[in-house]
Amino acid sequence: MNVIQVEDVWKKFKIPHERKATVLDAIASTLALFGGRRSTFEEFWALRNVTFNVLKGRSVGIIGENGSGKTTLLRLIANVMKPDQGTISVNGRIAPMLELGLGFHPELTVKENVVVFGAIMGLKRDRLRKQIESIIEFAELRRFEDAPLKTLSSGMQMRLAFSVAVETDADIILVDEALAVGDMEFRKRCLTKFKEFKDEGRTIVLVSHDMGLITEFCEDAVFLSQGEIIAKGSASEVVQQYIRQVESQASSNPSIAG
Amino acid sequence: MFEHTDVIWILVKKDFKIRYRNSLLGFVWSLLNPLSMMVILTLVFSFLLKSGIQDFSVFLLSALLPWRFFSIGTMQATGSIAGNPSLVKKIYLPRQILVLANNLASFFSFLMEFVALLPIMMALGMRLTPALLILPALMISEFLIVLGTSLALAALNVFYRDFYQIWEITLQLGFFLSPIFYEAKIIPERYLLYYSLNPVTRIIESTRKVLLYGVFPSAFDVAIPLLAAFVVLAIGYATFRRLEPRFAEVT
Repeated sequence: MNVIQVEDVWKKFKIPHERKATVLDAIASTLALFGGRRSTFEEFWALRNVTFNVLKGRSVGIIGENGSGKTTLLRLIANVMKPDQGTISVNGRIAPMLELGLGFHPELTVKENVVVFGAIMGLKRDRLRKQIESIIEFAELRRFEDAPLKTLSSGMQMRLAFSVAVETDADIILVDEALAVGDMEFRKRCLTKFKEFKDEGRTIVLVSHDMGLITEFCEDAVFLSQGEIIAKGSASEVVQQYIRQVESQASSNPSIAG
Repeated sequence: MFEHTDVIWILVKKDFKIRYRNSLLGFVWSLLNPLSMMVILTLVFSFLLKSGIQDFSVFLLSALLPWRFFSIGTMQATGSIAGNPSLVKKIYLPRQILVLANNLASFFSFLMEFVALLPIMMALGMRLTPALLILPALMISEFLIVLGTSLALAALNVFYRDFYQIWEITLQLGFFLSPIFYEAKIIPERYLLYYSLNPVTRIIESTRKVLLYGVFPSAFDVAIPLLAAFVVLAIGYATFRRLEPRFAEVT
């Protein structure tokens, strides 16, 4: 059964041309707001004709160079943006882990932040109240539970956010490479948790530059380049193709290779 | 939207805590502000300019409190989308939630201010009459006006940050164009129509009738703000919905 169906999706971005060089220009472009001339912009297709399916319980890696449209694709699936063309249908509840600690506020205490971020991630309030102890335990932050978040190191904040995020009961989990910024220990933890999700039959879509991770963890992969799908299918084959392409580009362009 | 009530309340609480945390006097500041305004304006208009208005302090506070809710509520909410890029870009929440939660926090501040200043107003000549029962209707109308205005401003602010400054100036003018330290009846007849377009005018006038004169406002006085509220809300919401699809690309 398909849980995510992406069909012929196109997404366009507008890149504005910054030309408010003088105060007069600034005023002119401000006035343009009221129906006059608008400042110029360039259109740019971030995704073109993207079609693929994700089967229930599978883990899919999305790979490609920077700017190839991976994050845009993830945002479209998360319903944060709308495609200009094509459809995306999602069958199940999504937990987008595109950024950890959404809504975190430095002045609030650790416990208060758990409640805010938990609610934003869609955890139910009555359940969250029970989970709060185990979340703080898991993050190993018992001593700090009533301290303002700003007194924690950034690593500790990550740990806390991660502990909240993994409490999700969503069927589909979207993970951005942003998670890879933690230390070794943290990465190991993430992986163990994601394997648990997998064993529970949940679907995971993972954006990463770590080819080892993709081949080890995902069954399928999608390779994007300049907004188009170059290859899709079994993770190991797609990763191979990606590596070949990067190498051939590097050899044909020695200035970058050097 | 209704499945998100949990998130809304948690965001309201968060907003509330942040407003008053790390300040020595916290909520007391929101009382000192209107009180100091009351003292200085009473001094100027009652003693220096001799406006001749009875119980000028109550006259003033009954207008100042709703005005503060309108100005602070809309001002704070203007940045509620643009100031939360990660909540717009990284997760899907109906974005109205951010504006609504912000407005609710301002609304509760307003109610607390109101309750805390009641004893002072009573000591200064406010009347405790059954007419007070009409206040919730006026407050709810004002809340809807604030919500509608905030939705439009928050959406526009995503695309042009100037709206923050534009609104700040508008509010400054609005303070003088609303019957706060004078009565609407001093406005010349031929300007009255334009003057009444300000949706806060009638709310202030009706609140004043209730608090100062202890009389029930006419049905007209209650119906007009409510009608205005729905018009403002409809326009604000339509603006918001029109601009919303591009929020994540711009913030």
